[in-house]
Amino acid sequence: MSNNDRNIVLQAEGLCKSFSVVGEKLKVLEEIDLKLKKSSSLSIRGDSGCGKTTLLNLLARLEPADSGLLHWGAKIINAQDKPCSKEANWRAKYIGVVYQSYYLIPELTVLENVMMSVRLSKLSLTNYKERALQLLEEMGVGNKCQQIPTKLSGGERQRVAIARALVNNPVVILADEPTGNLDERTGGEVMDLLLNTCSKEGTSLILVTHNPNYARATEQSSFLKDGRLIYE
Amino acid sequence: MKSAWPLFLAWKQLFPSQRKVSFFSLLAIIGVALGVNVMIVVVAFMQGFQQKFRTDIIDSQGHARAVPLHRQLDWRESVETIKGKSQVSKVTPYLQGHLLVQNRDYNAVPFSMGIEPTDGNGVLPINEFLKNGHIAIQGYDSKDLTPVPTTQTLEDDVVFITQQVANRLGVRPSTILQIYDLNKSENNSISKGDISVVRLDPFVKSGEWVIEFSNDQNFSLRNALGTIERHASLGSGPPDLGWGYPKFDIKEGDYPFASGDIYKFQVFRSSILEVYSPSMIENAKSDEMAPPREVRVGGIFEVPWQGFHADALFGTRRFMEDMRGEVDVCDGFFIKFKSEFFEDEGRLGQLCTKLEDDLDGDWSVMPWFVENAWFFDLLKFEEYLMVLIMIPIGLVAAFAIAIALMTTVLRKIREIGLLVAMGGSRFAVGTIFCFQGFIIGSMGALLGCALALLFIRYRDSLMNFIVTRIAGEEGQAGVTQFYDFYSLDVPYPWESEQSLSTFLTFILFAILVSTVAGLLPAWRAARMNPAEALRSE
Ligand SMILES: Nc1ncnc2c1ncn2[C@@H]1O[C@H](COP(=O)(O)OP(=O)(O)OP(=O)(O)O)[C@@H](O)[C@H]1O
Ligand SMILES: [Mg+2]
Repeated sequence: MSNNDRNIVLQAEGLCKSFSVVGEKLKVLEEIDLKLKKSSSLSIRGDSGCGKTTLLNLLARLEPADSGLLHWGAKIINAQDKPCSKEANWRAKYIGVVYQSYYLIPELTVLENVMMSVRLSKLSLTNYKERALQLLEEMGVGNKCQQIPTKLSGGERQRVAIARALVNNPVVILADEPTGNLDERTGGEVMDLLLNTCSKEGTSLILVTHNPNYARATEQSSFLKDGRLIYE
Repeated sequence: MKSAWPLFLAWKQLFPSQRKVSFFSLLAIIGVALGVNVMIVVVAFMQGFQQKFRTDIIDSQGHARAVPLHRQLDWRESVETIKGKSQVSKVTPYLQGHLLVQNRDYNAVPFSMGIEPTDGNGVLPINEFLKNGHIAIQGYDSKDLTPVPTTQTLEDDVVFITQQVANRLGVRPSTILQIYDLNKSENNSISKGDISVVRLDPFVKSGEWVIEFSNDQNFSLRNALGTIERHASLGSGPPDLGWGYPKFDIKEGDYPFASGDIYKFQVFRSSILEVYSPSMIENAKSDEMAPPREVRVGGIFEVPWQGFHADALFGTRRFMEDMRGEVDVCDGFFIKFKSEFFEDEGRLGQLCTKLEDDLDGDWSVMPWFVENAWFFDLLKFEEYLMVLIMIPIGLVAAFAIAIALMTTVLRKIREIGLLVAMGGSRFAVGTIFCFQGFIIGSMGALLGCALALLFIRYRDSLMNFIVTRIAGEEGQAGVTQFYDFYSLDVPYPWESEQSLSTFLTFILFAILVSTVAGLLPAWRAARMNPAEALRSE
């Protein structure tokens, strides 16, 4: 590994993934190479069904790839192995996720939802509560801490989800169309918050989006087509 | 607490933030609680009945019975040997056999037992039996003042018989009624004091007795025939006319007695029975008809244990000897040990064996549970029955909880996917559902125990309420005759080890079943592919 690689927080080498659909093999990803530097951001665009979500799932080790290698910082993972619980523990601290749907847990308050991240990464609740409140404040939902998520608007929910992804200081955020369910104005606000907070906190970001404006806001933009990443 | 997030989530899914409790968990917990409650109550009551049967059996035959292995002439010596043992509290020698008892054309052949009148209340609580069998006559214009007979009235020409024998023969012991004069209701006024009868022996004659006050202190006691009249004052009390006459007692009330206060009493003498022994009947065949032995009915008794002879008679040992035409014989002893020995069957057995040795092997000493082995078969059967009932109940509960949790898993597929994406291991995600089962089981079990304690605490009023609703006031008397739940001893868990183990068993059972019920949903959740879970709509 060269010195240069020290700065790389997430790297994929030759990731391939295919699904078998009704007996036929559907190749989704072919030889994906990707390098993400610390505190940098990368946007991925592509047609619907081209494999963007699949790529993020492989990077987060939610499912095994057909072949390829993954680097989570210094940790090297064989991408075709089945994800194990040791990786789950790494993932808890290393990667934060934001999805198009917010996936907040309805039985918990907003604050408890954010603190779930802290619980899962086995960090001290008391130490991180302050940070959670501060993040919610920055996201503009500081006054909703004790609300339950079903009483929030879509934009508010996504802000909470972003706070949840960031609260335990992950190295990388994987965001899959975080504004997909929001109207343009709200989406713009949420996207600004996400981008600004990531760059302020020095968190690397991979952003999957359909919106070219948001894509342009990241340091690097790419396009997923025919199973390959094309950098612009 | 850092790693306990599955427990935290399990708790929160049952008791969500900003809401008191979820409907599902409320139902599940109440369900488990009711189940645990019913099981504990049923078992506790069964144990209460078992305990009652035990004491009833022991009451009717003592802890052990010694039977001579060959004709003993020196049985009195053996009695002394047994009495000398430090562990023994009471010994009662007895004679037994069957006698033909007749009243006019009615007859019965009760199982008859002769005991020493002096220790008549020794091993067998005959006075208790007499109390059970005593039935006061309910009259519209009279009040039954007959005192409950005791073994003190037992002599050679007196017998006690069971209710069933008395009914068959149409006989009764001596009885005394206070007759109310309906025209002079003031005389019945309760506040004027109470006249009771403290002794009514089996030899009193039928007749009427009158107590009449001449002023607030002095009164006369006389019979209606006018052959007897005694004057007395409240200070000295009513005179004792001796054996063969009723003895009264007067208690003063709030208002003093007044001149002209008259109290009338009617005495009915006890029935006379003609008794034949088997040998007398044998002789009758050869035309040597001996006159029957005439005895008085001294009292009617009832043995609480249903297994005891329904037709039975108690007389003195000498009466039985006379009937058998033998002198100084004994068929065996009833033995009662001191209380520290009879709770433990094993020790009781050892004690009996040791007693046999001490009696030089002339006597066989049988503990009550050997003689009543069937009783333990019954208990075993009852236990099996309980297990048989418990298994399906447990299964039904487990299925209900499993299905409910399974629905939760399916409803929360995407949340489960997210938890894995956020760094939860799939195993840990699965344990959320086991924990939910565990929480439901624990809370339900505790609630069920609380309910069971309440039930045991208020069982009498509850049973009373239920039985009167179903059977009515009169039916209740009938029910209590068979299932005397009022006298049932149902101990709290802090009072008896058996009760404690019942409670603990069902707590553990409920927790175990509920937790196991969570296993299937847990496995389902853990098996889920997180990527697909997140995709699912
Ligand atoms: N588990 C699966 N089994 C079979 N095919 C799958 C599976 N998951 C994804 N696919 C297929 O892989 C392809 C890529 O899916 P993916 O969700 O990654 O697309 P996407 O780029 O995220 O699309 P969108 O922009 O609409 O979200 C699709 O054609 C989809 O049908
Ligand atoms: Mg997608």
